[in-house]
Formats: sequence, structure tokens, C-alpha cells
Amino acid sequence: MIRIFTVYFEGKYEPKYVTNLYRGLKKYCKVPFEFVCLSDTNEIEADRIIPIYKTGDIKLHWHKLAFFSPLFGGQQPGDDIIVMDIDQVVVSDITDMINYPVNENELISIERWWNLGDRLAPRLNGGFYKFKSGSLKCVWDNFVRNIEYWQTHFYYEGLVHYKYYGEQNFVQHICRRENKKITLMPGEWIGKWTQDTVRNMKYNIKYGEVFNDDYMIMDQPNPRLKLIHFANPNTTIHDSKDEWLKDYWQ
Amino acid sequence: MNIICVCTGQKYSQWYVNNLKHMIDTYSGLKYDTFNVITKNSYTGVFNKLQMFRDFTKGQNIYFDLDVVIKDKVPEEIIQKDLHLVHCWWREAKHTPVNSSIMSWYGDQSHIYDFFKQDVIGLEKKYNRGMDQFIFENIEHKSWKNICNTIQGHEYEPENYDYSIWLFNQRYMMFQEGWSGWWKNYFIENTISKAS
Repeated sequence: MIRIFTVYFEGKYEPKYVTNLYRGLKKYCKVPFEFVCLSDTNEIEADRIIPIYKTGDIKLHWHKLAFFSPLFGGQQPGDDIIVMDIDQVVVSDITDMINYPVNENELISIERWWNLGDRLAPRLNGGFYKFKSGSLKCVWDNFVRNIEYWQTHFYYEGLVHYKYYGEQNFVQHICRRENKKITLMPGEWIGKWTQDTVRNMKYNIKYGEVFNDDYMIMDQPNPRLKLIHFANPNTTIHDSKDEWLKDYWQ
Repeated sequence: MNIICVCTGQKYSQWYVNNLKHMIDTYSGLKYDTFNVITKNSYTGVFNKLQMFRDFTKGQNIYFDLDVVIKDKVPEEIIQKDLHLVHCWWREAKHTPVNSSIMSWYGDQSHIYDFFKQDVIGLEKKYNRGMDQFIFENIEHKSWKNICNTIQGHEYEPENYDYSIWLFNQRYMMFQEGWSGWWKNYFIENTISKAS
């Protein structure tokens, strides 16, 4: 069974981020999966909702790390676990990503092509993790031993610019330390988009350079793209004015 | 006998208190006179636990953290005259070899609170890793060598019947809905959301 896990809590995003991601996956994925959301509201569409417990020590997106424990979310031995951020839009057949082969002790993620050349940035993108249930439990086990320390560690080390950022740095750090294999899916499958025109232009140019293509997103997304990530501290999907988005985020 | 727990701040809901009482009443075998919950949030985090030494100065007192699991009769040696804490036999001593998830004493130990009260700011700062180290370094105490076990490192194993008390050491989230484990068989209900 493929189980896709997401996290939602009131704040920057709205419940429809979960619903629209779920609908996008349903529309563009040809293999069966269960879509589960750890959420503080039931006003979302999902196959299953787990209530999030927000008054504890775990902050923001760090809740995602619980999915690395095989004891969380109704995981069964042998399950393929996918953890996705909700600030993403599915724009074409995503079956190859959801069904990407994964082995025990291996983490599948997406290459952060937009950070190529930045030695401080992690290579993987926390918007998409895939692994065999339980085979990366070291991620959760190390985190829960010292939650407060890890949640701010990468900020105080100067590796991320915002307090409580750095979850993907942590995942990469632990996987490397514990000799887990990190495999990155083709970066051309994912787009990076913001509400900043200049920044988007840079992403278009970078995408073209890295993947030898003309553009990433013009009037429509490049057909090579499967998923577009809107992750940026000042970016939301629901405020976007891009016309192409209306075809995919509904 | 007084049973004591502390529920201050936002981390633990009333469900954790109800659940602890349920496990004590159902499994522990302890015959107590009063079940007490300290809710006054007077100090920083765990230092609120020290209020129990001010408030409970008569008879036998036993304290439990809210993230312990009690699943069978507790050992008789849990009843102690001298102040007892848990010896952390499962790990290196590091900054302190004791753990205050369970404490037991008879009579008046209010000198502990008085000592803390003399320099609250200084002691909270000095012992920012927790009050266990504060007690270890400043207060005459004894420790149980083998009264309980920790779930850390055992959470993925089948249920172990060698110990009746299990410490979750800040893994309180594993009590909540979404998590599975043998410990949930002993809870007042299976989910926190139903209870709160």
C-alpha cells in the first residue's frame, strides 16, 4: 500500500490546499494510494484525517517527522510511505513519482535544482519524501530525543534564515549519518514558483540551463513538469494571479 | 497515601491526568487516600514540580509524571520514607543519573522547595536542563535501581512484561491518536480526541 501523508494546521495556508492536492493526486495518479492528513480541521478532503496535537513541543512542519515512525498513521509493514508538503500543485501524470521504486533504508526525494551550486543548501527537497515504512525510523528517533534542539539547530547554525526552518536539513543530516541511501528523482519533474516575477524569471532561466529546455512555466507549465512547488516564505497559492494555475488547483 | 501529579502549561491536557488516575486505579495496586493535581503555573516548566514539596508534607507521598504508563502492580519498594527518585540505569549518567518521573517520600521535604525559593531565577538558569539535576546536586536523596524501564529503544519491540511502570521520557505524543503501541491497551480510551 502506498500511503501519502500530509500535514495541515491553521496559519499561512487554507484547508483547500489539502483538498486541492488530494484532488490533483486523484486526477493525475494511476496507481492506488491512501491519502492521510494530520490536521487541525476536518474541513478538508482526504481518505483519513488524524487530529494534530498543536500544544506540544513540535512546531510547524516538524510534525512531518512523525511519519518516519512506523508506529504513526496506521502504517503497515511493507508500506511505501510518501510525505508531501501541501503547497504543491500537480500539473500532469504523477504516477512515476508516486510509484517511484524504493528499497529498504533508502530515502527518495527531489533534487533542489534551484539551489545547485549553493553548498549550504540541502540537496533534497522536503516537499516530497518516499521510503519504506519503518526503514528510516532513525529520523524520528533522533528527533524525539531532543525536539527543541533540532528544531532550532539549523537556524542557529546559520544554515536556514527562519527560526524553526531546517527540517529537510535534519532529514538529510540523519540519513547521511545513519548511512541511509538518498536517491533524488529527476529534478525536471518539479517546478519552483513564487509570486515574485523577477524570481520566477530566474527560476525559468535556471530550469532551462539545468535541463536544457526553453522554459519552466510560460503560459502553461512545461510538459516535463509533474509537480510545482510554491514553497517560499512570502508565497501562497491562493493569492497567485497566474492564469495557468486555475486549470490545476481546484 | 497521597498520589501527586503536575499538570501545568499547555503540553498536557486533562486527559493525561484522567489516564494516569485510570492506570493507577486499575493496574497499580496502590491504595491511596488522595489523588492530587498541581495546576498552578508558578515557575518555568518542570520546576513547577517542586511545589509538591511545599504542599504535601504529611504521610506517604508518591509522584508520577503524566507520561508514564502503569500496566501492572507496582513494586512494593515504591513506598519509601527517604526521598527516592528513579536511577536511569538504561543510559549514561550525563548531566544527572536520576530522573524525577517518579518520586516517593514520607513526611516533610519542604526544605527542597524552600531552597529553590531562595534563588528561583538563579537556579532555573543554572539548571536549565531540568530539575532532576537540581535535585541530584543539591538535595539528599536515594534512587531506585530497577523500579521501571524506559520506552526509548523499546517502542518497536513486542510488549515487555518485566516492568509494570514505563517512562516515556517526553514521548508523550505517542499517547495520542494516530500512534499505535501496546501501551494504548492500558489507556482510559484509545484516543485523546475522544476524551478531550
